[in-house]
Amino acid sequence: MKARRGYDRARWALTIAALLLVAFPFYWMINTSLKPASEIFLSPPTFVSAHWSLDAYATVLTKRPVGRYFVNSLVVALGTTLISVTLAALAAYGFTRFFPRGATPFIVFLLFTKMLPETLLIVPYFELMSDLGLLNTYAALILAYSSFALPFAVWMLIGFFRSIPRDIDEAAMIDGASYLQAFCRVILPLARPGLVAVALFTFLIAWNSYLWALVLTTDSSMYVLSVGVANMVGEYRVQWNELMAAAVIAALPVMVLYSLLERHLVDAITSGAVKG
Amino acid sequence: MAASPEQPAHATAGRGTRRGATPWTRRRRVGYAFVAPVFLFLCAVVVFPLLHAFWTSLHRVRGLASTFVGAQNYVRVLTDDAFWHSLAVSLEFTGTCVALHMTIGLGLALLLDQLRFARTALRIAFLTPWMVAPAIGATIWLWMLEPQFGVVNYLLQAAGVIAAPLAWLGVPSLAFASVVAVDVWRGTPFVMLLMLAGLQTIPREQYEAAAIDGASAGQRFRYVTLPNLRYLLVVASTLDVINTIRHYDTIGVMTAGGPAGATEVLPVLLFNTAFRGNRFGEAAAIGVLLMLIVLVFAIFHIRFTRADLENAR
Repeated sequence: MKARRGYDRARWALTIAALLLVAFPFYWMINTSLKPASEIFLSPPTFVSAHWSLDAYATVLTKRPVGRYFVNSLVVALGTTLISVTLAALAAYGFTRFFPRGATPFIVFLLFTKMLPETLLIVPYFELMSDLGLLNTYAALILAYSSFALPFAVWMLIGFFRSIPRDIDEAAMIDGASYLQAFCRVILPLARPGLVAVALFTFLIAWNSYLWALVLTTDSSMYVLSVGVANMVGEYRVQWNELMAAAVIAALPVMVLYSLLERHLVDAITSGAVKG
Repeated sequence: MAASPEQPAHATAGRGTRRGATPWTRRRRVGYAFVAPVFLFLCAVVVFPLLHAFWTSLHRVRGLASTFVGAQNYVRVLTDDAFWHSLAVSLEFTGTCVALHMTIGLGLALLLDQLRFARTALRIAFLTPWMVAPAIGATIWLWMLEPQFGVVNYLLQAAGVIAAPLAWLGVPSLAFASVVAVDVWRGTPFVMLLMLAGLQTIPREQYEAAAIDGASAGQRFRYVTLPNLRYLLVVASTLDVINTIRHYDTIGVMTAGGPAGATEVLPVLLFNTAFRGNRFGEAAAIGVLLMLIVLVFAIFHIRFTRADLENAR
């Protein structure tokens, strides 16, 4: 029993040490974001400060276009989610109900598209969007984001729809419902938990995306948060407290939403990889 | 609309025999209507751009004008030392990162699996580096690694590990080590999560039986845990290779490939060729070559998980 307890203690000590390492960058981000500009370049740096305030956040939101970046991220991520989840729900229903055997080759195709290097696709996307005059538009970003969000959403939703017994919609149709009615009134409500989870994932993946927006926007008023924040580093004199405040604004919603999704996280990553 | 192979009798039962069509062809048509939008959309946003990338790789693009040059872009890329250097950096980066992701990820999973409380909270906490946008994570590290005022130099000096501040991203070997470290910080949780899920599927009886037979902790790991996780270890490392070798954001933000090309992995070389060098044809050729590398692992992954794909969930 004593050995067991010692073992447990060692385990906890290791866990906490690992946690400190993992979490330190976030602590440093928040700590820096709360400091006044004069304290950023102190040596040794302060780990806790009596001068902590939200000034940097106020500056970033009023004097810098971070609010604008936030809105851009929101519009693009929401647009991508709306398109992806709508189309994916239709396709997932179609595949699981009408072509159950066709679903596997389609899933393999989706898997390939999910594995394409995004750097390969940004070249044609840049060419096509500039030809179409769509650089610096939400439309370009939403279309580009759909190229990785849609395969993901279809893939996840096929999994969810497979778990809804087909007897249920067949029963509805025996009662006289059309396919579309069965889909809208019976299946969609049943699939709601899955739809919500997939929508949140799609939103987060879109929100976190960087490279596409980096290439498809040149006008700083169209930057999304990830691009806007990363670009602030290149400025003449970097205000690290402001930069970290902007990073918190970009990162915090993601952390909260992902934590809510914790239950589905394993499924999302492993669908097809782990059974059970 | 083609007749279905399973229903050849209906091939001739076209429109007009009954109102519209037979129930089977009608059912089929409804099915097509449900899947068609996604098909068309995927063609527009994935297949067409992909074909366009191939097309670009066979052309010299100058502004709006482009001339067909055959395989010239590929020849140019493949005879350029920069490509082979970048390939070597990519392989070294991916190999190092994946090895570290796997060992640390498995270690963390073993650590968390046995804890008796706060497991969910800890799992979420350990996942945070993976949740945050890689570009944002890289930005935080840029500040921590800043040579003059960065906290990393301060802590290492205070601990006596280094005598003087280091320019982490200014020296080739240090820059490579730095981007590896950041990618390990970012990428390990992914493996940890997979391993945790795998550990939970191992039947407890196997451990109990091993304990009764007098197996030590090390032996239980060697003869129970590892064999049970073997499948998942292969799946996770393949996926991780695919994700790491094509990853742009971390290095793109931290070093953009520098100093002196020390961190110029293939995706970064591609980006620099296209958007700094303005050589789209060559960039597309690099992209196609990168895709071929990824494809090898993707095909392996798909063949290996074939059974799972068929009855996913």
